[in-house]
Amino acid sequence: MSDKTTVTYRLNGTERSETVPANTVLADLLRERHGMTGVKLSCERGVCGSCTGLVDDRPVATCSMMAFQVEGANVEVVDGESADTHLGAAQQAFRERGGFQCGYCTSGMLMLTAALLRRDPDPDPATVRAWISSNVCRCTGYEMILESVLRAGEIVREGEGE
Amino acid sequence: MTTRETVGRGDQRADAHVKTTGRSQYTADVVLPGMLHAKVLRSPHAHARLVSVDASRAARLDGVHAVVTRDDLEGLDPVYGFFVKDQPVVATDRVRYVGDVVAAVAAEDEATALRALELVDVEYEPLPAVTGVEEAEADGAPELFEEAPRGVLPPYGTGASVQLRPRKNVSFEFSYETGDPAVWDRCDHVFEDTFVFSRMNHFHLEPFVTVARADEFGIELWTSTQNPFPLRKELARVFGRPENRIRVHVPLVGGGFGSKHNCKTEPIAVLLAQLSGRPVRYCLTTEEGFLTLTQHAALLKVRTGVMADGRFVARESEVLLDAGAYTDGSPLVAEKAGYRMPGPYRWEHISSRCGCVMTNTTPAGPYRGFGATQATWASESQVDMIAERLGIDPYDLRVMNFKGLGEPFVPGESGIDSDLRLGLEKVAAEIGYHGRERVPGRGVGLAVGLKDGGGVNKPAQARVKLSTDGTVYLHCGSIEVGQGISTSLAAVVAEVLKVPLDHVVYTPVNTDTTPFDQGTNASSGIAVTGKAVERAALDARRRVLEFASERLGHPVEELDLDHWNLVHKGETVPLVPLILGHYGGTGYEFTGEGFAKAANSEFAPLDAPCVFWEIGWVAAEVEVDPETGVVSLDKLVVSGDAGHAINLANCRGQDEGAAVMGMAQALFEEMRYDGAELLNGEALDYRVPMAEDLPESFVSITQEQGHGPGPFGAKGMGEGGMLPVASAIANAVADATGGARVTALPLSPERVLRAIDELRA
Repeated sequence: MSDKTTVTYRLNGTERSETVPANTVLADLLRERHGMTGVKLSCERGVCGSCTGLVDDRPVATCSMMAFQVEGANVEVVDGESADTHLGAAQQAFRERGGFQCGYCTSGMLMLTAALLRRDPDPDPATVRAWISSNVCRCTGYEMILESVLRAGEIVREGEGE
Repeated sequence: MTTRETVGRGDQRADAHVKTTGRSQYTADVVLPGMLHAKVLRSPHAHARLVSVDASRAARLDGVHAVVTRDDLEGLDPVYGFFVKDQPVVATDRVRYVGDVVAAVAAEDEATALRALELVDVEYEPLPAVTGVEEAEADGAPELFEEAPRGVLPPYGTGASVQLRPRKNVSFEFSYETGDPAVWDRCDHVFEDTFVFSRMNHFHLEPFVTVARADEFGIELWTSTQNPFPLRKELARVFGRPENRIRVHVPLVGGGFGSKHNCKTEPIAVLLAQLSGRPVRYCLTTEEGFLTLTQHAALLKVRTGVMADGRFVARESEVLLDAGAYTDGSPLVAEKAGYRMPGPYRWEHISSRCGCVMTNTTPAGPYRGFGATQATWASESQVDMIAERLGIDPYDLRVMNFKGLGEPFVPGESGIDSDLRLGLEKVAAEIGYHGRERVPGRGVGLAVGLKDGGGVNKPAQARVKLSTDGTVYLHCGSIEVGQGISTSLAAVVAEVLKVPLDHVVYTPVNTDTTPFDQGTNASSGIAVTGKAVERAALDARRRVLEFASERLGHPVEELDLDHWNLVHKGETVPLVPLILGHYGGTGYEFTGEGFAKAANSEFAPLDAPCVFWEIGWVAAEVEVDPETGVVSLDKLVVSGDAGHAINLANCRGQDEGAAVMGMAQALFEEMRYDGAELLNGEALDYRVPMAEDLPESFVSITQEQGHGPGPFGAKGMGEGGMLPVASAIANAVADATGGARVTALPLSPERVLRAIDELRA
């Protein structure tokens, strides 16, 4: 069996310390240890993006990252209704605009959206299209996802205006 | 019902909350106490005799709880398939494609299972392999099955017939004929063209996955399937158990597109659970998905006779589907590819044949469009080729030959329930087809796809249960694969019972308690299951009103139900006190039942007339670089006819998702083979469309022409948008290049350039 390692990190705002086999993949840690099954595994090659989470604000494929790599990092994934401005706006917008069908890519798309809006709360359609092109959705044909992301930006900006 | 409260809007989906919070549960998320993990050993050979398989070393590895080889099938009927039972649970005498399952292991974890597989000793004696439908039919081609596998033939009516194993390496052939072949002599022109259709992977994001447990009392499984009831029947036969001892749960399904039918991961998971006495999870990787099921590649020969003025007279076609190594759903796809070859046009004579050709490649089966994608590719490309040869505008040629509204597709069939011309005009107008300016290198193409929707002979039952407090349970077997059916069907119930949409719960599917349903396929959810659901809701409503009529002493006809109140001549009476007052205790639940199925008819070629016609209209605008052959899709317009939409957002989502699948097939997406070797069977190499692949302008138009047979006039929407995309784009390429015609998919730069060169030569 492989050696164990202890990894200390923040997960959705809560400090965590877990001792896991050194060869543990981040997605497995999130799903199996923390029950965060919103992280979906599909291609497990870092291509499809279903398992996308944020590590220090950067979207990553959690299937292609080792658990020990998040030592000291801030990890965020979809897990319930989010109080975060950007992720919460993404959740609301995807519901309003029907930016999902089977739902398997949705968690990843939501994290991707949150990361984009933190960098740029008013992205133009071309930027949204390029950004969303890192993840696969096989159901929607993307158009309703692109509209959802633009709508999420509106929600963020409306909130900031208050 | 005069004003509608729920139906016909784009309300937020009932599954919006769970799917945006990570709370949705798929089979991949199911965990049982003591659960083991399964992995399988796959053949590295495309075709080989299995000389020996010895898993004894694997069985002795620590952490291994069960192994399965051909020696562990005693007491089973270990082959499966829709009509032809030719696919073994694990290979017995031979392997027939790269990826065929030779052995399976259940262990404490997947890593241990994979280590154990390295200890399975297999000796193969390679045999010559066949790839490609023409090679498989050639003299001297090796045979995949020396003896005819077991098979049954579905019933057919006037003009249609089928044959099992009509010749070597063909497992099933469908034929259809109508009208007098003598009309060929009257044709001014006869055109014969050949088309090649490529093969895609479904690429559903949730893998094929099953969690199973089994003991002497029964089998219970959670599985990612589109048709739990036929699956239950098949497992009952394979495992020799009564149907009521097999309980199939279907959590949310993360995409199917046709792939998740009949046995996939289920038999191995159940068998390993039976042998180990522990629950077993068997989840495929994406790479294994490429080795499990694909779309049908096809070779299509179409001969069409026309009059000089453009009137269509006769069409004869021969389609060869590449069925891969096992028959799976190929007979049904063959039936449809052959039957749908006439397209939406009038003919005096039709003769179609379609065969399932066995090759040493991944088995092919149901895929969104189901034979109609193949047929439409050939038919709609040829319509434009004929238009060019006759010097007639392709729009005019189509309109001249379209069937009228209500005109039967063929004798004995139901009438076309959309105005074809109206639909074509919508997409033509949107893309500016008429009177457009001709610019070299730019072109516009049109195409129309048609398929019989609703599933041949599909029965569906439904149950609506009203709780004492007026909230509603909807029980039916339509699987939520992403299409939004749970929302649309709940909306039908909410509308009938006049309750808010969120008062209706779509109950989880479980074959012990869910009413029977043939399956979630053929865009049948809204038109067939939806009809059963509507009837169940009406039945439940009637029971409530009859109860109230007795209690209140008013005739049923004078009573109405509104938000769980009775309304009598403008006066409102709350129901809850009435129920509690009569039944006492904590209350009572009213239950309504519904059933739907198209009536059988000996005159209908496919045994029952089709439930509705699913039509897709597409217009495409392209730019073609004559130096490189690169096609840029500038605009894509897709339109379907929802009859009356139940949920507009769902309709739009279906058309757009289907159109983008068709677009990818047209331009780049395909499984590439070198002989029997799949070259791009993984996510890194296999290109599916991304957001950046969308055309600059992508427009979908949901028509509501109002002729649907479903609840509130609805029609199904799942597949029509895919059918005509590839031919519309090929037609646009020909338009842009002054006639360079590509007859094989995808429209790669190489093929486009070759077509341009041929034109210049």
